[in-house]
Amino acid sequence: MTERTIPLTNITDDLPCDSAVEVCTPGEGKPESGITRRKFVKNTSGMSAASLLGTAALMTNSDDAHATSEWAEWFQGNYRLMSDEEKQEAVDRLERRYSAEYGKDVTVDTTPAQEGVLFGYALNIQKCIGCRRCVKACVEENNQSRGEAQETEWIRVLKMEKGEFSEAKMGEGYPDDYGIQVGGNAYTAAGVVIEGEHYYEPEKVPEEDSFYMPIACMQCEKPPCVKVCPVRTTYREPDGIVVIDYNWCIGCRMCIGACPYWARRFNWGEPNLPKDQMNPVTHYLGNRPRMKGVVEKCTFCIQRTRKGRYPACVEVCPVGARKFGNLLDPESEVRRVLASKRVFRMKADMNTYPKFFYYVD
Amino acid sequence: MRVLDTGIRRSTSACLRVIRCGVLVLGLTTAATSVAQDCFESRQNASKVTVKESADGQVNVKCSETTGGVLWWGDPYDATVPMGEMPIEADYDHGEAVVKSRTKQLAMFPVCGTACHNGTFPPPNDDKTPRTLTMHTDVVPDATNLQHGRGAIWCLDCHHSETRNHFTDHSGNLIDMNEPQKLCGKCHGPAYRDWRGGLHGKRIGEWASTGKKRWFVCTECHNPHDVQQGERNSGFAQLESEPAPRLPKGLENADHERHHGGH
Repeated sequence: MTERTIPLTNITDDLPCDSAVEVCTPGEGKPESGITRRKFVKNTSGMSAASLLGTAALMTNSDDAHATSEWAEWFQGNYRLMSDEEKQEAVDRLERRYSAEYGKDVTVDTTPAQEGVLFGYALNIQKCIGCRRCVKACVEENNQSRGEAQETEWIRVLKMEKGEFSEAKMGEGYPDDYGIQVGGNAYTAAGVVIEGEHYYEPEKVPEEDSFYMPIACMQCEKPPCVKVCPVRTTYREPDGIVVIDYNWCIGCRMCIGACPYWARRFNWGEPNLPKDQMNPVTHYLGNRPRMKGVVEKCTFCIQRTRKGRYPACVEVCPVGARKFGNLLDPESEVRRVLASKRVFRMKADMNTYPKFFYYVD
Repeated sequence: MRVLDTGIRRSTSACLRVIRCGVLVLGLTTAATSVAQDCFESRQNASKVTVKESADGQVNVKCSETTGGVLWWGDPYDATVPMGEMPIEADYDHGEAVVKSRTKQLAMFPVCGTACHNGTFPPPNDDKTPRTLTMHTDVVPDATNLQHGRGAIWCLDCHHSETRNHFTDHSGNLIDMNEPQKLCGKCHGPAYRDWRGGLHGKRIGEWASTGKKRWFVCTECHNPHDVQQGERNSGFAQLESEPAPRLPKGLENADHERHHGGH
């Protein structure tokens, strides 16, 4: 064990919990391993870094899960470089901290990618009715910030005008002023430069003459966001999911600028996640609560899909427009879509090789 | 539930003007929370689901507060039964398949095959011209103008003429009401084929091709008595959408996005 990985979470003693954590009740803050602060300091007094950390923990003058884990997090490595042991420590620490903060049993999962699995997603753009249930299901599942101060949604749904070659529209709306056209046709410049209506709010959807295009992270095979990350906190997992180690993120937002799909969101302020709405089933690289100053995005619901379950947006879609599965399995739903439907990828010319496919019947 | 919600919201805004009715609002809110929450899965006014809490504090579904639609499944297999044998037309999925029982949701189902439709009554019309219904007008408002099949089909092409709590296939054999796919597949071949392969329709549960899934059957998303939906003809009824994202700070409306694209 290196000096950096000393289990700081065990620096607790029998004092009652600090009032900084509301839900803390006497007894909860007790160490699981029975190591008291005194014992800890005594055992590690010969190690300089450890003594420093021990002192730091003492200086915070609290035994609550938040303070101790925050100190330990400063000395935590990049998730990709952590040993299994270090990962376990980080997870234990986070579970204790989140459980105390949100007043429920929070689990932080580290399930790795399965062998022989490459996740793929297919969306039937002809079926989508623009009801935005996927957007809200995603928030429900992935612990995004909500409320007036900061609202974070990973999926956005664009309403676009249906193009048509009609006599009436001949000679109008040629999109030379607007750059690349991605929707409509030469006469009806719908969806120019992927601009559609984001804030549409009709009484009922779908509206006539409209189609809807939901956009989220495309889980690129060659992700521009990964290329630009100066600290390599965002990277691509073996099963194709592009993830972020929130603890290693420095908040430079280079990835947001690099992403051609507007898939990433930044926590400008402290995220607002009400305790009763918090989803306690989390993954380290997925939906665990984020902090101020870090970037987040869709992870194909890594906490669900790594355990075999469909992503939340797939399950919620009331018209069944969303399909998900293993691209390496010819029997999977996505592979069947690729085999028998007309498919396109968004901004395929960018050479990002998205694992998100749009199709029509 | 939805109606009640809207009622509360309306009375709340009215109350802001008349402060002394605060007590009334409180009373209404309490009444609303004590009622078991119902929401719908795919089709409004059908596929109803009631929120219930399991022993470990998890809920079976979470519902949208704004539209009353299901937003999240805690238990994807809640209230399901095995899908049963399906004819093998091709090499389809081999995973475990379950469906939500329709017959359990129909209050009159246990008696409808004996109490009213006893095999001889009401007498079927031999010339396939539907009469004006006196009952079930909530399901089919106008039987003489059925919004399915463009005038080419009538009631007893799908409903079994003698055993009314079943459907019928082309040969007059019975089809269980929990298996409408066997009925719809009679005419809608391509959609049925896609559905068997997982391309059409919806499944929840496990993504693996060998995993356990709950399959949504035809009538959970489409209304068989009104598939045409007037001019839209998409097969889906229109739904209320979830609220739009918040506007960026400083922006008062979204007019800007309407000026792009089409002139």
